[in-house]
Amino acid sequence: MEVSRDTNSTLTKQTIFAANSVLRLHGFKLLVSLLCIGFIVLALATPGYLTLFNLKTVVRDAALVGIMGIGLTFVTLSGNFFLLSMKETAALCIIGFAMGMSNGLGFELSLLIAIGIALISGVLQGVLIGLGGNPIVVTLGAAGILYGLASWWSDNLVISFRRPNDAEWLGTGSVYGVPNITIAFVLIAILAELVLRKTRFGRQVYLIGANRAAGKATGHENLTMAIKVCAIASVCCAFVAVAFSAQMSSAQANYFSSEFGSSGDFTILVIATVMVAGNSIVGGYGSTLRTSIGAVFIAAIDNMMVLQGFNSGARVLSVGMMIVISILIFAYIRRDSRSEG
Amino acid sequence: MSGDWLSLRGIRRSFGSIKALNGVDLNVKRGEVLGLVGENGAGKSTLVKIISGFDSGFEGDVFIDGKPAKLNTPERAQATGIAIAQQELSLIPTLSVAENIFLGGNHGPVIASLRRLGKLAKPYLDEVGLSNVNPDLPVQRLSIGERNLVEVARLIAHKPQLLILDEPTAALGESDSQRILEMVRRLRDAGKSIVYVSHRLDEIFSVTDRVTVLRDGATQATLATSEMKLDDLVSLMLGRELNKMFPRKNPELDRPVKYEVRQLWPDRVLSPVSFDIRKGEILGLAGQLGSGAGEVLATMGGAHRGRSGSLHNLESGESFLPSSPKRAINMRIAYCSPDRKHDGLFLGRPILENLSAANLGQISIFGWMRTAAERNLGIHIAKAFTIDDRRLSEEVSVLSGGNQQKVALGKWLAIAPELILIDEPTRGVDIGARAEIYRKLRELADAGAAIIIASTDLYEISNLPDRVMTFYKGSPTSVLEGDEVRSDTILKNITNPEGLESMRRAS
Repeated sequence: MEVSRDTNSTLTKQTIFAANSVLRLHGFKLLVSLLCIGFIVLALATPGYLTLFNLKTVVRDAALVGIMGIGLTFVTLSGNFFLLSMKETAALCIIGFAMGMSNGLGFELSLLIAIGIALISGVLQGVLIGLGGNPIVVTLGAAGILYGLASWWSDNLVISFRRPNDAEWLGTGSVYGVPNITIAFVLIAILAELVLRKTRFGRQVYLIGANRAAGKATGHENLTMAIKVCAIASVCCAFVAVAFSAQMSSAQANYFSSEFGSSGDFTILVIATVMVAGNSIVGGYGSTLRTSIGAVFIAAIDNMMVLQGFNSGARVLSVGMMIVISILIFAYIRRDSRSEG
Repeated sequence: MSGDWLSLRGIRRSFGSIKALNGVDLNVKRGEVLGLVGENGAGKSTLVKIISGFDSGFEGDVFIDGKPAKLNTPERAQATGIAIAQQELSLIPTLSVAENIFLGGNHGPVIASLRRLGKLAKPYLDEVGLSNVNPDLPVQRLSIGERNLVEVARLIAHKPQLLILDEPTAALGESDSQRILEMVRRLRDAGKSIVYVSHRLDEIFSVTDRVTVLRDGATQATLATSEMKLDDLVSLMLGRELNKMFPRKNPELDRPVKYEVRQLWPDRVLSPVSFDIRKGEILGLAGQLGSGAGEVLATMGGAHRGRSGSLHNLESGESFLPSSPKRAINMRIAYCSPDRKHDGLFLGRPILENLSAANLGQISIFGWMRTAAERNLGIHIAKAFTIDDRRLSEEVSVLSGGNQQKVALGKWLAIAPELILIDEPTRGVDIGARAEIYRKLRELADAGAAIIIASTDLYEISNLPDRVMTFYKGSPTSVLEGDEVRSDTILKNITNPEGLESMRRAS
């Protein structure tokens, strides 16, 4: 009896060990293939899902959140955590843009207003974070200030500007049937990935994110880095705000909040796109490519749930679940994949 | 007294296809200190895990007091009388010393006031030489060395027969290390058995009765310490002759002065320091932990702010004190802190990115990285520091401690430094890598760099530098040159400059 039990437990141990090593070595591929299989099964079971039109909708839906996610990825990779003021930055930018448009300043000047607002708020937040402020506290405070300014400035009203106007091409225009906003998403995704992989700045993002103290010791200060990444994330917010406003030909401070009827709060969605594809939450590891994939993935799930008739509550819930599950899975894959020497 | 208390025969342990242990024999008597030495990867950690019950997947026989025994779990090992002090401290900083000693386990009272707990803890504190420490003090108020002693006191409270100390002095300065050694002797005299694992051979020689040498997962030899020579021990560990651990010194005193340090006043140093560094020399700053020697380097490297001071480069005529590491790098000053995991390495990034990190300007053009240039730089440094250049794309965290240190030091070659400041050049580094680091530092000095090292390792500080400045409690005490650079003179000047004979015993 004793012997057989021993053999049994050894067998179990070996099985667990084998399963562990398979998961560690091929965890990412395994996860991706499992997700793909599940996704394909569901996609086939959802009527009207696998049509060209619908797929275009998916990528298009992914674009706005994806662009903001790409911006935020720079902040996260550099070890400066998250900007919790993403949607509020976008809110102030969209009001600024619509104010410009409705007062006849034209597209270019209005765009400059939005980008200017984003730069100022991004740089200020970056300075505070870079000087050692806690990113959560700083950006939560900034969120309040930005949203307050946006609703005060607009009296919480919808600001609309007349069609036709010179911003429409960005919101609703397309080239050979591909929406311009989708093209912008793809171009920004490629550009961001190039910057991260091929430039000195990109390298600094990874180094400071991997170890801020070692970064300082080798001459890469987080102050300048925090300013740059916060500015990048904020400008991405401004761009999304402008594109969204151009699409609606109007603006309101709450366009990026959950009560507006989108699939939840933009800040959470954006954080979800960064987390879902396994970017390290403490920095130093990941890529904007992962974020782009994450954005498309979330949009695909969301779209499927819409077609299956789920209400927005269930969709917000699924986004939350995706964040939690992905954090768990990637924490498991990364654990023990490095040995301490 | 004689007769083996613990005896291991033919221990084998494999992880997949890797044979970590391949025939280890080891025995420990009552009332003796057995040194366990070997290079990184020789199997010391695996063996220690097996003895302390953390690893049960091995083959071979274990005897306790001559009877076969099973050490399958840490609990069983502890019940048998085996205790292990880990390299990482497991104390809870906010709890008091006494609370920590009785934490976890049933060796303490069920309910007790802090005062009673303090009284109960007292004998154990006395035993490890902490009689002057108030048991009610939270552990975070103690020095790192004292915390190590508390950790041992906690183990002793379980009344073990065998105590395993794994690198107990790795993070300690000389005087704290001496306290550990004294404690080891005291426990031995009380009849305990001690397995002492250390890279520091001076300690092995000073405290052990016998030494077991591991190499490639097998016992090479077990020797009586009194009949052993340093060279024999080193060649047993390496499996080859290491004809000289340290490169020859270069004591030409007429070389031109390269930097004048004037009125440098780092925080935690009591008075300003002035000294000169010559071109091509290695200057040693000797001192115990907290002596201020490390602070001098950190301030010169821009890592800490000093109260005053200037660094005068006689070749370029510039006079400055770097206010940040970035400024220091621009002046081609490289500073390595004593803690490579904290700020010496980007652990999650590839080796190549670590090696090029200090000089991205050289390998980029208009902000774009030049991949080929980076690769060449990486290969160049890897060759110089004998790092395997086929592994450049692997994460630096997969390397052994010695190789990690080579990366942490080697990355500074990228800025072609003129002044190299290294605090603890070989902490936690195995002998083979140590010799390579010493050789490379000497090469850099011969090529014209000025090098200053600060070290609490007496063996290192008396054998590598050409000149040594000693520090005691925040003040420089002497400058030793030529024949004066010996371990006894250094020890005297860093422990008790007035010259009480009491500390001499320890050397």
